[in-house]
Amino acid sequence: MKPSDEFYVGYQPHAPAATGRFARNVAVALLALGAAAAAALSAGQRAFAPATFEFGAERDFVGVVEVDPYPTLLVKRPGEGSGWSRYLLVAFGKHGADELVGDRAGQAVRLRGALIHQDDRTMIEVAAGSVEPVVLEALANAADLPGEETLGVFTLRGEIVDSKCHLGVMNPGVRKTHRACATLCIQGGVPPILLARDADGREARLLLVDAAGGAVNDRVLDLVADQVEITGEVRRLDDLLVLRADPETYRRLE
Amino acid sequence: MGLEYRAVGWNRQKKLYDLTLAAAVAVYLAAFVGVGLALKPNATAETLLIRAFGTAAFALLHVILSIGPLCRLSPRFLPLLYNRRHLGVTMFFLGLAHAALSIVQFHLFGDVNPLVSVFTSNAHYGDVADFPFQPLGLAALVVLFLMAATSHDFWLHNLTAPTWKALHMGVYVAYGLLVMHVALGALQAERSPLYVVLVGAGLAWVLGLHLYAAGREAARDRAGVGPAAGEEVGDGFVDVCAVDEIPDARARVVCAAGERVAIYRYGGRLAAVSSVCQHQNGPLGEGRVIDGCITCPWHGYQYVPETGESPPPFTERVPTFPVRVRDGRVQLDPRPRPAGRPAGSCSVKGAP
Ligand code: HEM
Ligand code: FES
Repeated sequence: MKPSDEFYVGYQPHAPAATGRFARNVAVALLALGAAAAAALSAGQRAFAPATFEFGAERDFVGVVEVDPYPTLLVKRPGEGSGWSRYLLVAFGKHGADELVGDRAGQAVRLRGALIHQDDRTMIEVAAGSVEPVVLEALANAADLPGEETLGVFTLRGEIVDSKCHLGVMNPGVRKTHRACATLCIQGGVPPILLARDADGREARLLLVDAAGGAVNDRVLDLVADQVEITGEVRRLDDLLVLRADPETYRRLE
Repeated sequence: MGLEYRAVGWNRQKKLYDLTLAAAVAVYLAAFVGVGLALKPNATAETLLIRAFGTAAFALLHVILSIGPLCRLSPRFLPLLYNRRHLGVTMFFLGLAHAALSIVQFHLFGDVNPLVSVFTSNAHYGDVADFPFQPLGLAALVVLFLMAATSHDFWLHNLTAPTWKALHMGVYVAYGLLVMHVALGALQAERSPLYVVLVGAGLAWVLGLHLYAAGREAARDRAGVGPAAGEEVGDGFVDVCAVDEIPDARARVVCAAGERVAIYRYGGRLAAVSSVCQHQNGPLGEGRVIDGCITCPWHGYQYVPETGESPPPFTERVPTFPVRVRDGRVQLDPRPRPAGRPAGSCSVKGAP
């Protein structure tokens, strides 16, 4: 019988022969098409950044707390004269670490947390209740004091991202699909950074502060995940780059 | 006899259908996540799962939207249609998994209620390219939920058929919302042209298939009326075709007075009923007479030809139309008979 002469009734246990064969072929074709589409879509995803969140693997850190403009832990690198590392501090979820370390400015502490890092930029998600004061040995010489140097005024283009997701908690932690999340994080106190790219595609990450060196979180929300241009003074605090500019002067690029 | 048929919950065909569906979903998700883990070592599991669920739901929606027009083009696709409710419910759950993971990942653990945040955390509503895409996904999910929740025939009866059918046209609203959800979201963030090409091809396929099937249908409606198209032959009857043009147990569909009417021939008699099935508007005129009842090709609802009524205990009823035979030609009165006075049938020989 031609399929067109057959009559299919779904509640009968068997489909007519030709109709059944056709349905089976369609099912096999759809299965193959689905698998091929899934593989192609997955392979076609944009490259993922080499970013890491050591979720669940907490370690101890000892250093000096700085709270302005953003909570940071200064950790002395091993060896005399080898300088300091600056770890940005954040709390669980979409929150900054102000509540965890806000009253410890300038103090030496031990804290537990999970490392978040991409390239040379590092951050710690601080475990609540783990911050406790310690006594650090006196520093031997002046070369071992934390350093600050001004690199000059630059005009930089890039995207404002929340440092926590971008550095590794989410991947990707950039672009429009991540805007809502980045906005929430920055609103919640996570330090905003400019992911700057030059014409050759080289990237730099700069912490954003206002002209007086203060936090800018609430003033950049509207520009998150867009391409922006910022002109300001770039400073290096040990291994951390900071871009100082009034958020009013940030320019959205169309 | 209809009762035992329609009450069948779980037969071999339905099981095969659901097993195939489950296998297809599993293969799709495994392929997406597997390829992702193999080729993108830096990708996080959450991102791969969010994307696997989202794209699986969207792909399945294309299959669902294709079944209707494909069945209009060839009855061979009917086995796909019979149980398509399960496709819809499966698609909803895939979309729900994607949405729930997205909300946990992108909106939970902040200072704002996650569901509020879906609407407020990107506030560029006035901008075309920057327009927030996540509220569009949430709106689609609500529509899909309403359809999945009411997909059972229980709701078809309780909401009344017209309300139910209007609600289920919402699948097109959901599709439109999701195309925008993807176009304003993932397509802006991804770089590979594959994504734009696939979304565009999917849209072209869905639109093209619907237009093509509608065109074929309109042409068939016109042709169906026969050479003496709608010619008045007295007493309000119009000429349809020669008796022998209608095979036994089958119907001739004509478009009369703006409505499709199915004229069935069975065991030497003729009867005319509306070609629109009371269940889900299936094409009743493409059915067969089985065990003395007109049987819908979509889900097998049955109607007695002379009365248009489903055999007890069912209560569906389709309008009936008077037919008669003069000089070997079938003639139809395109005015439906009122409920209490069915049109009955006539002999193919011309006697009443
Ligand atoms: C509350 C509802 C929803 C939310 C919050 C939401 C959120 C998102 C987000 C954030 C993305 C980007 C993910 C990424 O690039 O990693 C996305 C993409 C996508 N969504 Fe949704 N979505 C919702 C509902 C839906 C529904 C119901 C469907 C389909 C039935 C869907 C289909 C897709 C597809 C196909 C993509 C592109 C692939 C991908 O990037 O995941 N979404 N959605
Ligand atoms: S439409 Fe479902 S049986 Fe006719």
